[in-house]
Amino acid sequence: MPSWPTRSGLPPAGVITTLMITATILLWAAPRAEMDPLRLFRSLPSLLDFAGKILVMPEWEYLPRLGQKMAETVMITILATSIALAASIPLGILAARNTSPHPVVFHATRSLLSAVRALPELVWALVFVSAVGLGPLPGVMALALVTMGFMPKFFAESFEVVDPHPIEGVVAHGANWLQVRLYGYLPLAMPDCIGTTIYILDHNLRSAAILGIVGAGGIGYDMVMAVRLFDYDRLLLIALSIYFIVTLLDRASDRLRAKVT
Amino acid sequence: MAKINMCGVRKTFGNGHTALKEMDTEFQTGTFTVILGPSGAGKSTLLRLVNGLEPLTSGEITVDGIPVRGKNLKKIRGDVGMIFQQFNLIGRLNVMTNVLVGRLWNRPWLTSVLYLFGREDRAIAEKVLMRVGLAEKAWERADRLSGGQQQRVGIARALAQEPRVILADEPVASLDPVTGDNIMQILREICDRDKITMIVNLHQVDLAKRYADRVIGLNAGEIVFDGTPKLLDSSILSHIYRRNSVVKETTPDALLAYA
Amino acid sequence: MTSSDNPIPPKPFNPAPAFIAVWFAVLWASCLGLDISFTDLLTGMDDMGEYLSRYGTPDFSDLSRYLELLAQTVAIAVCGTFLAITFSILLAPTAARNLTIGPLAYRAAREILNFMRAMPDLLLALVFVAALGLGPLPGVIALGIHTAGFLGKFFAECLERVDPGVIEAMEASGAGRTQTLMYAGWPSILREAAGYSLYIMDRNIRMATVLGLVGAGGIGLALHDTLRLFEYNEAAALIIVIFVTLLAFDYISSWIRKKIS
Repeated sequence: MPSWPTRSGLPPAGVITTLMITATILLWAAPRAEMDPLRLFRSLPSLLDFAGKILVMPEWEYLPRLGQKMAETVMITILATSIALAASIPLGILAARNTSPHPVVFHATRSLLSAVRALPELVWALVFVSAVGLGPLPGVMALALVTMGFMPKFFAESFEVVDPHPIEGVVAHGANWLQVRLYGYLPLAMPDCIGTTIYILDHNLRSAAILGIVGAGGIGYDMVMAVRLFDYDRLLLIALSIYFIVTLLDRASDRLRAKVT
Repeated sequence: MAKINMCGVRKTFGNGHTALKEMDTEFQTGTFTVILGPSGAGKSTLLRLVNGLEPLTSGEITVDGIPVRGKNLKKIRGDVGMIFQQFNLIGRLNVMTNVLVGRLWNRPWLTSVLYLFGREDRAIAEKVLMRVGLAEKAWERADRLSGGQQQRVGIARALAQEPRVILADEPVASLDPVTGDNIMQILREICDRDKITMIVNLHQVDLAKRYADRVIGLNAGEIVFDGTPKLLDSSILSHIYRRNSVVKETTPDALLAYA
Repeated sequence: MTSSDNPIPPKPFNPAPAFIAVWFAVLWASCLGLDISFTDLLTGMDDMGEYLSRYGTPDFSDLSRYLELLAQTVAIAVCGTFLAITFSILLAPTAARNLTIGPLAYRAAREILNFMRAMPDLLLALVFVAALGLGPLPGVIALGIHTAGFLGKFFAECLERVDPGVIEAMEASGAGRTQTLMYAGWPSILREAAGYSLYIMDRNIRMATVLGLVGAGGIGLALHDTLRLFEYNEAAALIIVIFVTLLAFDYISSWIRKKIS
C-alpha cells in the first residue's frame, strides 16, 4: 500500500484544503454554467459538423473590405492607446508612492484608476454607442478610457522601483519638483514604460477586434454579421486575418521588448 | 567663494540613531577640506545636511549667511554642487544631458519639460565637459562609460551649476587607485582655480595628506581632530579610527599600509 | 588636470523628434481614416451631460434576477478558468524548451498555444454559440480556449526558467519525464502559476460580463437589452452591479496574489 511522504502518510493538509475548496467551487459553478460532461460529449458531433461548414472556400471578393476593416481596427488601437499614453504619464506620477505630491493624492488616484478599469471596454462601448451612435468614435473612447485605468497603474509601479540614488543626484543639483520627475524618474523608468506600452498596444489590438460586436467600429461588426447571416466563407477569412495580425504584433512586441529592457 | 557656518548642528534619524552630535565648525572660502572617519561616523550625513538632502534636527547651517532650510533650498542647491560615490548619473540619458541637469535650477519649467536648454547653458556644459576631458564622449549614454569617466561626468554636472561649494561624498571609493588619484587632482585644481569651497569625504589617508588644506576627523558624530594634514600621525589616526570600546578592526599601521 | 583641447564632436542625429513627428502623422491619418473630428466631440459634450442624466435613477427592482445572472457570470468564468488550467497543464511541458518531447512537438505546442491566444474570446464565443446554441456553455469553452493560450505560454516560460541543475539532478537519479515534471517542474513554479491563474480568473470574470452580448450567457445580454430598449435606469442598476462585483473581485484577487508572493 503506497503512502505519501508525510508524517501521517496522508497528503499535506494544504493540498487537501486546496483540492476541497476547488471542488466545492466547481460543484457550485458547473451546473450554473451548464457544464455537463455528457452534454459536452454530445455536442462534439455538432461541433464537427459546424467545423465542416466553416472550412469552405473563402470568399475572395470580400478581401478589399476586409483590408479596410482591419485597417480601421488598427487605427482604433493606435489612436486609443496614444490618447491613453498622453494621460498616463501625469496620472502615473500622481499614482506612484514616491512621485506623488501627497499621500492623499496617491490614494485618491489609485482608487480612481481601479474604478476606471473595473468595467470591461465592451460595456463602455455599449454605453458610448448609445450616446454618440454607431462608428469607431465610441470604440476609441471606450478603449482609451479603460486603458487609462491600466496604463498609469503599470507606469506608477515602474516609478516605484526606480533606484533612488540617481534621483538624489538630480535633487542635489537644485532641480525642482517637476524637473526631478522629468530628468530623474522618467528616463530611469523609460524601458519599463516602453515595455508596458507595447504590451498594452498588443492587448488593445485584441480588444479593438471585438469592439464591433456592439457597433463600435472595426472588424468585430463583420464578424457578428458573418455568423448571423451564415457567411462562413467570410468568417474563415476574418478569423485568419485576426490570427495573422495579432501574431505579427505579438512577435514584433516580444522582440521590441527584449530590445529595450 | 563661499563660507559655510555650522552652529550646534545635530542630526537624529527617525530610528533614534544620532548621526551628529552638537557640531560647531566653519569652512572658509576656497579651502579644500577632507573629512576622515570610520564608516558610520556621520561623514555622509554631514554633507547631506549642507545640501539639505536631510533636514536638520537642531542647530543651523548657513552658506554665505543663508540658512539651509525650507524656501532657501533651491537657491542653496543651486550654489552647492554635489558629487557621489556611485556617481548617481541618469544612465539612460547621454552625457551632455546629464551635465545639463546641473543647469536645471536655473531653468524655467516649461522648457525643461521639453528637454530644451538655452545657448548659455549649452556653452557652460560644453566648457565643463572639455575641462574634465570628456568632450568626445558628449553624446554617449552615461551608463556606457567607465567608472572614472562617469565620475568625471558627475564633476562636470556639479561644475555646470557654477557652484560656490562642492561637496564630494567618497568620490573615489568605487574607483581604482590611479583613477581615484586622477579624480582628486581634478577636484584640487577646481578648488585652486575657481576658489570653490571643497568638502570631500575620504577613506584614503594618503589622498587626504596629498590634497587637503585641512583635515577633520569624525568619530561617532563628533569632531575628534581638526588640523592640517601634516599633523596626521599614527596616534591621531588611531584616535580618529578608534572603535568605541569595540574590538579594533584595523590597526592604524594597517590603515597606513592600505592607504 | 586632464583637460583636453578636443572640442565637442558634432551632435549625432537624434531620431526622437522624427519618430514623434511620424507618430503624430499616423494619429492624424487615423483620425481622418476613422472620420473622427475632435471639434464635433467637444461640441457634443453638452449632449453628453444630458445623456448621462438619463442614468440618474438606477432601478434595482429586478435585483434578484440580476444577482442570478451575476452568479451565472461568475460560474462561467470559474469553469472557463478551470478548463484553461487543465488545457495548459497538459500543453505547457511540451511547449517548454527544457522539458519538451522533441523539437517538432515543441513547435506544434507553441503554435497551438499561439493560435488559442490569437483568437479573441468573443469571436470563439460567437462561433460556439452558432455551433452549440445559446447558453453559457459556449462562453465557458470560448474563455477556456482563449485563456489556455495565455496560461500555457506563461507556464511554459516559467518551466523554462527552472534551474537546469535541479532537472539534471532528477534525470541523474533515473527519473522519467513525467516524474521530473511532477517533482522538479511543477513544484518549482507553483507560486507563480497560482498567481497568474488568479489573474486570469480575474480577467475571465471581466470578460464573462460581456459574453452575453453574443448570446453566450451571463449578465451582458441583460445590459445589451436594456440599452436597446432605452431603459437607462435598469441599465444604470446593471452597470452598478457589474462594477461593484468586478471591483470586489479585483481587490480579493490582488490581496490573495500579494499573500502568495
